[in-house]
Amino acid sequence: MELTTFVRGIISLLVVLGFAPLFAGLVNKLKAIFTGRLGAPVLQPYSDLKRLFRKETINANSSSFISVISPTINLVAVVIAAAMLPIGFERPLISFEGDIILFAYILGLARFFQILAAMDIGSSFEGMGASREAAFAVFAEPIFFFTLGSIAFISGLTSIYEIYHSIRLDNVTYIVFIIVCSISVFILAVTECSRMPVDDPKTHLELTMIHEVMILDNSGVDLFLYQYSSHIKLFIYAILETSFFYPFGIRSYTVAIVIFVVVITALSISLAIVETITSRFKMKSIPHYLLFATAIGILNLLIYTFTV
Amino acid sequence: MMSLKVQNNQLFHIDEISFHNKNTFHENVFEALSKDFRMIGLFPIDAKIPHRIIALLADLHTSFIHIVGGEFPKEQLEFESFANDYPHTNYFECELAENNGFAILDHPWLRPVRKQNVINGDEKYNFYKLEGDEVHEVAVGPIHAGIIEPGHFRFQCHGELVYHLEINLGYQHRGVEKEMLNAKPAQRIILSESIAGDTVIGHTYAHCSAIESLANISTSLRAQVIRSIAEEIERVAMHLSGLGGVANDIGLAIVSASYGRLRTLMINSLAALCGSRSGRGLFVYGGVRYDFNEETIKKIIANLEVVKKDVTEINNFLFSSTGALTRFDGTGKVKKDVAKQVGMVGIAARACGIEIDARINTPYGAYRYFPVSLITLPTGDVFARARLRALEIDESLHFIFEQIKNLPEGKLCEHTLSGKVESVITEPNSGVISIVEGWRGEVIHASFTDANGKIVQYKIKDPSFNNWYGLSLALREIAISDFPLCNKSFDLSYAGHDL
Repeated sequence: MELTTFVRGIISLLVVLGFAPLFAGLVNKLKAIFTGRLGAPVLQPYSDLKRLFRKETINANSSSFISVISPTINLVAVVIAAAMLPIGFERPLISFEGDIILFAYILGLARFFQILAAMDIGSSFEGMGASREAAFAVFAEPIFFFTLGSIAFISGLTSIYEIYHSIRLDNVTYIVFIIVCSISVFILAVTECSRMPVDDPKTHLELTMIHEVMILDNSGVDLFLYQYSSHIKLFIYAILETSFFYPFGIRSYTVAIVIFVVVITALSISLAIVETITSRFKMKSIPHYLLFATAIGILNLLIYTFTV
Repeated sequence: MMSLKVQNNQLFHIDEISFHNKNTFHENVFEALSKDFRMIGLFPIDAKIPHRIIALLADLHTSFIHIVGGEFPKEQLEFESFANDYPHTNYFECELAENNGFAILDHPWLRPVRKQNVINGDEKYNFYKLEGDEVHEVAVGPIHAGIIEPGHFRFQCHGELVYHLEINLGYQHRGVEKEMLNAKPAQRIILSESIAGDTVIGHTYAHCSAIESLANISTSLRAQVIRSIAEEIERVAMHLSGLGGVANDIGLAIVSASYGRLRTLMINSLAALCGSRSGRGLFVYGGVRYDFNEETIKKIIANLEVVKKDVTEINNFLFSSTGALTRFDGTGKVKKDVAKQVGMVGIAARACGIEIDARINTPYGAYRYFPVSLITLPTGDVFARARLRALEIDESLHFIFEQIKNLPEGKLCEHTLSGKVESVITEPNSGVISIVEGWRGEVIHASFTDANGKIVQYKIKDPSFNNWYGLSLALREIAISDFPLCNKSFDLSYAGHDL
């Protein structure tokens, strides 16, 4: 690997790690504005993370070493996934044949340890959250593989970077393809990052939570690690979405940055709108929603097959 | 049936009540219950004489409250439970057992009401428990994740499905009833304003009516109308807040925020009248402390017009949103006959199709001259409870508009202002039962005096006392994730129950 590629990969990763809380803050701010409130400052997530980082970590008496290691594993796994993301036209830090599988399952690993840690505490709340998270993850996985995986399957490429670069649909069907892809990735992002209408990140009601209830008993640095990794995770999915919009023929930094900023802003606006005007689903109808997204993914596969 | 028949706010002499022995007491109460009367109180007539008790039985159809007295030997405070035939009496019996050491024979489910270690002594109270390999128990509270009052909830679940919910309260017990007896007259109104922070007007209204009846103080029509307007403003404000809460629980942020905005207008209207957004300081014995002037009327009407216009729009949005309706429809259903059996009251009961509303069943104050319509819905689910609130908002706004534009003339306060509150002299050996329809349901204050005219018993019953068990039943066979939504649709008070 050349040194410059390496440096550029590092910069890409730093962009993801640095801007992730900003994205979450932007969504929250927009949501506040849409509901007629002033809202917290856009930079609030940074202050929250700083506050949590300074606090003491307290673990439940009933918990084992799993609770101690899992926040770190969770963050590390998510950071590795972030390092595999293509931002703009640069090759990411980690990129090799078959990294799409690693990408999917390193996020799976993060989730696995979070679920383990939730059950480790031994509270019925966390157990309930863990069971929900595990159940809905099963339905979320096919969405990823039918969207990105389908392109990989057809193009024969198995690295995320190359998959994105293989998308060279020059006619009108590209727009159709992008729209359909955006929808399925959006639903995937909403599910994986526990946003509305699957989960309500703002609720205080333990019994209805999915993701939040799993970290109910975490505090201090552990909570910092979980919160930060969930910010990064949301941003990862935002970038997955953004990457569909690069016309990969153009290698211009200006164009890339403009597209990045525009799409990320558009995405945060649409997330905020969805969170403002939709109501949460009944827990038992969430799988229907996810299967719907899978169906869209299959549609994706068809569009791609017939237009390439 | 040997009982004393009184009406809402009617002063009666204690000697008019005949106190029966254990068997006759049981027979009389049983006969009343078999006539479809509803128990609304069961307590000693003097807090210091536990062996002389009375049972209050309300007849929905004639507006009469029947009082049956019972005198027991001091060392044998016991009678047969009525709860096996009339389940709604069971909680009153538990309360009597807890407060006054009665042994309720053959009681189906004797459990703590407010104090954890009285009924069972130091023995641990055993929650109802489901056994099996695949069932699990979820215990929530008393400390909750949000800023809400404390209460303990035990769910017996199979996966996400709730089979049984037991609610254990009492963490907010402040001894309000006892404080009422010790309080100076000037402190009593302030006390009653603090019984439940969301029903300030309801409780204070009931308290003032009770004391005014005991002291033979009359109120002018103008004061009565102002009281009713305040009560309806509180009703609209709390219904808006409840609808906002329901919308918030399903994550419908924009609807929730809009209801919140309108609620502010309503409580600000109350502040325009009396300087307090929750209506504290408005009531005095004999009337009200603050009057409407042209400026406040203009301000309140302007507020109400905004509320009226916007609430229609938001209601239309909420009740036509597919997402909201799928969450509301059929969730937390209580059947009408079940609701009746467990003695539910107020909006929760009306949403099950029970025609119960103290403003109509036992009219008081201005509602005797300016009646409101009774609104019921048949389905008994979250939808019905939310929709009922929306309909009641319209009805209350209509009432307020009507009354505020045609305020009758009259003195603000017939008797005394707070400075001379000591001159409120309560009749000796008397009693009164005062029922007010707070926004949540019937608020009952019953007060009794001794030979010197000193208040020796003061009982308060908030609608939450009846309805918490209704919430338990609503939770049967529904997903545990729907509990917060159901809970918010009932919107019960912890403080009002715990007193």
